[in-house]
Amino acid sequence: MRKVKRIMALALSATLVLVSLTGCGSSSTSSSASSSSSKGSDTLVYAQGAEPRGLDPALVDDGESAKVMSNIYEGLLKYDKDSTKVEPSLATSWDVSPDGLSYTFHLRKGVKFQDGTDFNADAVKVNIDRQLPPKVTQDMAYASFVFGSVKDVQVVDPNTVKINLTSPSTPFLKNLAMIMAAPMISPKALKDNNNNVNQQPVGTGPYKFVKWDKDQDIVLVANDQYWGTKPLIKNVVFKFIKDNSARVVALNNGEADVIDGIDATVVKQITDAGNKIFQAPGMNINYMAYNTSRKPFNDKNLRTAISQAVNVPEMVKSLYKGYSEPATSIMPNFMEGYDKSISQVAYDPQAAAKTLKAAGLTTVHMITYTNPRPYNTATGQVLAEAIQGYLSKVGVTVKIDSYDWTTYKQKVKEGDYDIAFYGWVGDNGDPDNFMNLLSDPDPTMNIALYNNPQFNDLIKKGVATPAGDARNAIYTQLEKIAAADAVWLPVSHAQTLCAYRPNVQNFYFHMTGITPFVGVSKK
Amino acid sequence: MLRYIIKRLLMLIPVLLGVSIIVFLIMRVFSPDPAPIVLGQHATQQAADAWRQVNGLNDPIYLQYYHYLKGALTGDLGTSYYTKLPVVKEIMSRFPATIELAFVAIILASFFGIVIGVISAVKKNSIFDNAGMFIALIGVSMPIFWLGILLIILFSGALHWLPSNGRINPLLAPAHITGFFLIDSLIAGNMDSFFDALKHIILPASALAMYSMAIITRMTRSSMLDTLQQDFIRTARAKGVPEGKVIRKHALRNGLIPIVTVIGLQLGSLLGGAVLTETVFSWPGIGAYTVECILKSDFPVVQGVVLLVATIYVLMNLIVDVIYAFLDPRIKYSKKEV
Repeated sequence: MRKVKRIMALALSATLVLVSLTGCGSSSTSSSASSSSSKGSDTLVYAQGAEPRGLDPALVDDGESAKVMSNIYEGLLKYDKDSTKVEPSLATSWDVSPDGLSYTFHLRKGVKFQDGTDFNADAVKVNIDRQLPPKVTQDMAYASFVFGSVKDVQVVDPNTVKINLTSPSTPFLKNLAMIMAAPMISPKALKDNNNNVNQQPVGTGPYKFVKWDKDQDIVLVANDQYWGTKPLIKNVVFKFIKDNSARVVALNNGEADVIDGIDATVVKQITDAGNKIFQAPGMNINYMAYNTSRKPFNDKNLRTAISQAVNVPEMVKSLYKGYSEPATSIMPNFMEGYDKSISQVAYDPQAAAKTLKAAGLTTVHMITYTNPRPYNTATGQVLAEAIQGYLSKVGVTVKIDSYDWTTYKQKVKEGDYDIAFYGWVGDNGDPDNFMNLLSDPDPTMNIALYNNPQFNDLIKKGVATPAGDARNAIYTQLEKIAAADAVWLPVSHAQTLCAYRPNVQNFYFHMTGITPFVGVSKK
Repeated sequence: MLRYIIKRLLMLIPVLLGVSIIVFLIMRVFSPDPAPIVLGQHATQQAADAWRQVNGLNDPIYLQYYHYLKGALTGDLGTSYYTKLPVVKEIMSRFPATIELAFVAIILASFFGIVIGVISAVKKNSIFDNAGMFIALIGVSMPIFWLGILLIILFSGALHWLPSNGRINPLLAPAHITGFFLIDSLIAGNMDSFFDALKHIILPASALAMYSMAIITRMTRSSMLDTLQQDFIRTARAKGVPEGKVIRKHALRNGLIPIVTVIGLQLGSLLGGAVLTETVFSWPGIGAYTVECILKSDFPVVQGVVLLVATIYVLMNLIVDVIYAFLDPRIKYSKKEV
């Protein structure tokens, strides 16, 4: 026993000595560390609900990565602050050949990557070539979406690059403003990191990557060499706080300056603490689709009747508490091609009941998903049940089968349903990206299994028509065809809700899901 | 003793083989196909097929297992489907956080558990005993995530004393040496970092400790009550040994064996990752990460983590058994005694 005591005493005193020694050495390092405390106005902490998949724009497809990448990288083009119109970024201007097959970009001069190498036409070629055959790999999620129409890339001179397409594609310009696949990465970084910069991103953007502690945070620091307007905040920290209520506490407690992924139920708690809410318009659509390939909904009149039975504005207000817009069109209203004259089947339960009774339709089989989705925070099940309520009033009994999201997608593929629920989050802000869902041969994209040759031809025409009024008219017409055919019942466009502390200035969340911090400051 | 330890270590092999086969089959039979999850919403059927081919998922399952086992034996657990990083790296970047939290929690739980348990036993049926047992009852019954949220609301939300999430202020994080921020900051001699890390660990460790503490308290109390009834305690008292010494040297030491067992097993399970605590406090450990990987069908990561956790569990059991011998010299693991 005495021996044990002696050992314990020794261990204790050794610990004490160690602590006191390290305590002595702390003075020099601690002062530098405390000067960069996150409480200061030189650091902005952004708390998001999940960790990014990676930071290589060619290798990821998730929204959490997009927020971080949009501060590190830039593409040839970028989106306007309040819409999805494109503006110059690393390209200052561009010319499109009359046949729509070649795009010549004039690049901004004197731009450097964050590793000090030059941005030039060769860099553009490297970035696009890695996502074209033969170099492209299956896990480049957006390669074929963004560059699928590209034939080759030619370096004309160091500041001019020519991209040739296999067929005319107007959405191509919008693709170049996307944060997925399109941003320019330092060719040197790609070479040094074995063609995968998920962990070592190097772009031309206003912030440089510093470090990434897994499941904790990513730290960025202002890029002093940035060619554009210099960022006002020195450090940006992206923190990952998975639990929604913990994220709200972190904001109210001052541990985070901005949080996203909040829902309507916590808005009051946030504003009561003196913080502000940012409501970003959502580039998405939440919809119900009829299976047009089989009875009973291969009949347009029955589709119309069911749509007439549902009071969409009332339902959206009650399900989403005012943080989703009732949909009157498939495309959100800020997109080119949207027109006020587009409208859906009007609410008319009497007419619905009459048609349905005459046709003898009394039961309907719905399938839906149980998870919240970005376009439908209330879950597909809650939405289906709300519609079930409306349909019971017109004499239709609904059988609902609900599945988790992954199983649900499999069920959709099998195609055994009268009605199914889905949604879409836009990629590039081009109207084609929304409207072509109804002409897609893939049953998991076009879940209404809608196949209208006139519609399909117009889609093809829209892709090839140069941007402008003539093109916009095509998409307005497509919207009207879809509405007249009652293929979908468009339900809502979900807004993105963020919250920030009152001392944060000029914060905004773009409808494409990115959060550029370059103009943001803290008082 | 050495022989016994070697024998136990050899027994690890069939255990790990069995565990790896079970988890391998479960993931492949019950998990959804990873290809659409990895490749995203624009993936075509051909791309998904090609991806499965490249990742060996089209091979017969025994062949897949063979390749996996071959890799695992050389320390290569594969790469995460989702992040494309080596599984070993993914696990090692999170495991220190889990270990740190588990150790702080088990220290808190053991200290308070043994103290409350001993006092409850000695002052049986007193107010203190009833209060202690009431706390223990709350500890085993209260859902840990709920306790966590309450702690956050009180100490972070209302009082602003402690941070609600994370391990450390990222701008104060010390250089990674051991991966344990409390130790790394001491090595770097950075007391600001040390206190920041300490502030961050208090709430999650307390929430996590609550359940283990309750179990340890109950076990200590019942074990002490048993021991205090023994003849040798009466003898000690009759010899005139002071009561404090009777309790510490005679009763507690003899009653420690079941307590050590419980502590060891609790530590084993805490090291496997505390999913709920990690989620509520955004603690970057292995538990919450594994659940995420299960949902994403990231097979290699799940297999790797389960192997690691199984190894830890077996080793913890072994350590507990070895500690018995030190606690009670009558226990011997040599061949002669058997």
